[in-house]
Amino acid sequence: MSSSSGLTFKLHPLVILNISDHYTRIKAQQSGSASRPLPPAPRVYGCVLGVQTGRTVEIFNSFELHYDATQNVLDRAFLESKQEQYKKVFPKYDVLGWYSTGSDIQDSDILIHKALTDINESPVYLLLNPTINHAQKDLPISIFESELHVIEGVPSLIFVNASYTIETVEAERISVDHVAHIKPSDGSSAATQLAAHLTGMHSAIKMLNSRIRVLHHHLVSIQKGEAPYEHSLLRQVSSLVRRLPAIDSSRFQDDFVMEYNDTLLMTYLATITKCSSTMNELVDKFNTAYDKQNRRPGRSTFI
Amino acid sequence: MDSLDALVAQVQGFSGTDDLLHLFSLLKQSDELLHNHAPRLQYALSSLDPAKHSLGYLYLLEVQSSGTLSQEQSENFLALASTFLNVCIAEQICLAPEKFNMVCRRVKEQALQLQEPLRAILPLQAAIRKLQPSSEFLTAMHADFLQMCLLAKCYKASLSVLEDDIFEIDQKRTGLVPRDFLLYCYYGGMIHIGLKQFGKALEFFQHAITAPATVLNAITIAAYKKFVLVSLIQLGQVPLFPKYTPPVVQRNLKSCVQDYVDLATSYVTRNIADVKGYITTHEDAFKSDNNLGLARQVIASLYKRNIQRLTQTYLTLSLQDIADNVQLDGPKEAELHILQMIQDGEIFARINQKDGMVSFQEDPEQYNTSAMTMRLNLEIHNIVRLAKKLTSVDEQVSCDQVYLSKIGRDRPRYETEDFDIVPQKMYTNL
Repeated sequence: MSSSSGLTFKLHPLVILNISDHYTRIKAQQSGSASRPLPPAPRVYGCVLGVQTGRTVEIFNSFELHYDATQNVLDRAFLESKQEQYKKVFPKYDVLGWYSTGSDIQDSDILIHKALTDINESPVYLLLNPTINHAQKDLPISIFESELHVIEGVPSLIFVNASYTIETVEAERISVDHVAHIKPSDGSSAATQLAAHLTGMHSAIKMLNSRIRVLHHHLVSIQKGEAPYEHSLLRQVSSLVRRLPAIDSSRFQDDFVMEYNDTLLMTYLATITKCSSTMNELVDKFNTAYDKQNRRPGRSTFI
Repeated sequence: MDSLDALVAQVQGFSGTDDLLHLFSLLKQSDELLHNHAPRLQYALSSLDPAKHSLGYLYLLEVQSSGTLSQEQSENFLALASTFLNVCIAEQICLAPEKFNMVCRRVKEQALQLQEPLRAILPLQAAIRKLQPSSEFLTAMHADFLQMCLLAKCYKASLSVLEDDIFEIDQKRTGLVPRDFLLYCYYGGMIHIGLKQFGKALEFFQHAITAPATVLNAITIAAYKKFVLVSLIQLGQVPLFPKYTPPVVQRNLKSCVQDYVDLATSYVTRNIADVKGYITTHEDAFKSDNNLGLARQVIASLYKRNIQRLTQTYLTLSLQDIADNVQLDGPKEAELHILQMIQDGEIFARINQKDGMVSFQEDPEQYNTSAMTMRLNLEIHNIVRLAKKLTSVDEQVSCDQVYLSKIGRDRPRYETEDFDIVPQKMYTNL
């Protein structure tokens, strides 16, 4: 079911990083002891902070909570002390709701949700799915709101899914980029760094290419008449297409072509070097195999 | 008579692809028979279709053209052979490459006899394409084709064949002999001279000189003479023999071409009068080698080289000074020379007509046009293709028995790292 409250949710990447960091830490601490088999994935809990202005809910930050799973009790004192501390630093942020990890919502969640209603009359619930699914392209995050629905004659609070967008500030973009490109601890030579950078660029371009192809295919089918003619979609596509080229003056063209040619010249030089090195090896091998006069005694260095 | 008819019937019957080998063996045996029935061959030929019965047609043609032919006979033969070469089926004729080569050679001879080399160009080009498994193979017809183009002065027609890089030589499939290779290099070089592409001409002549040999032959000597002249025009000096020149060539070649070597030494002094004098005194020697035109071009190139040397010393110079320095007759002639050089792109300069000053400039190429981008792209693709070819040849040599045995034999002298059966070397294949 989708939310009908009409609120728009904006999520900042810092929250996602915090939650995943929390989960990874707990999981690593648990599997630290190798004597017993790996326990089922732990659930971590915390609060999310943010600002709600009108119909927009913007989630900026989060902190962790102490939750006693055996007694299903949230550590209220801890939560309140933390809340006060955060209020001093970020006076604008309020506790907007809470988060947890797992693949789907559970029944115990609604109790926690109700417990938080005294801080915020309509808290949000952020669920992160920590299972890694390579086929899935979207973020494994879902935001739930609580709504009063009448089911079987009994009014009860249930969770409804809400849509959200990701919002970034420049600083966040840099830090996310940095975290995404964690280099391996060994082999941090220039070659592997360059290779890592180029593979990242390559996969990004590949993804862009596939998405544009999907759009193109859809537009072609609209042209043929197989798909319905949607004005809003076409307007969005048109605005996307008009974003490039960003600059189009003649001076830009000159500089751009010059830089492009410089890169091409470097590539040319690199290919020639590689070709000469292959040729060098080939000539050495040929000489050792067939040349009767210039037999080199001892080892010859191969590059 | 009957046996000939029987043979014709067999050819017609067996020209489907399954029975080709059978047909081929039949034809090989019936060579004698064909020679005996020479007069009737014309009739037999007309009853066969060259497009379908190529193999049989080939044999008949070959027998018909052996021996001396009258004018009318050779016209006839040339016409038949031209159509045949254009329409024959490649798989069928690949079974008999020597016969095919012989027919093509006859075509060339007849065309020469009729003084019409132009007629042989297209059929020979078609023949090359039919016999080549791919464009990287050298065939025996390459040399004949290039010779025809030279005699007919149709250099452009040969470009498509000349521009193919030759990587493979397969004697079994193409029936090639070393003489064909040398002739190919020699004629190829001459065509490039005709097209004024002196760099490529140098490449071809160098191939001819460095081809493996145990004795000196006339083609190599002729190629070296042209090589000396062209390298004077293009490079300003004669380069030393590369390391892979066969030793017999290295030792003996210079003594056969003494005139040219002396010309080269006098060219290096950059003295126009000396060079001119030398050429006039030895005019007969150059003329007998058909190199007089090239020798005159050597003189022209010496002027150009001297003018180019001036650009390294002066920024601006008056026309009179240029004429004096380069020993030209006057400022008018100097101006003509420089105009020609600017047009050819050999020099970058501006002539100020008012005071007769020439200012030399740098290469204005900024490398910032999209035309340059396309060119760079093309060059990179070429190099990548060449690199792929090199790696494949490299792999072939690495797996070669001779190489592996040589490496294995040297192993005891190495350090203790090599314990493997097949030696492992550290390659960083980028």
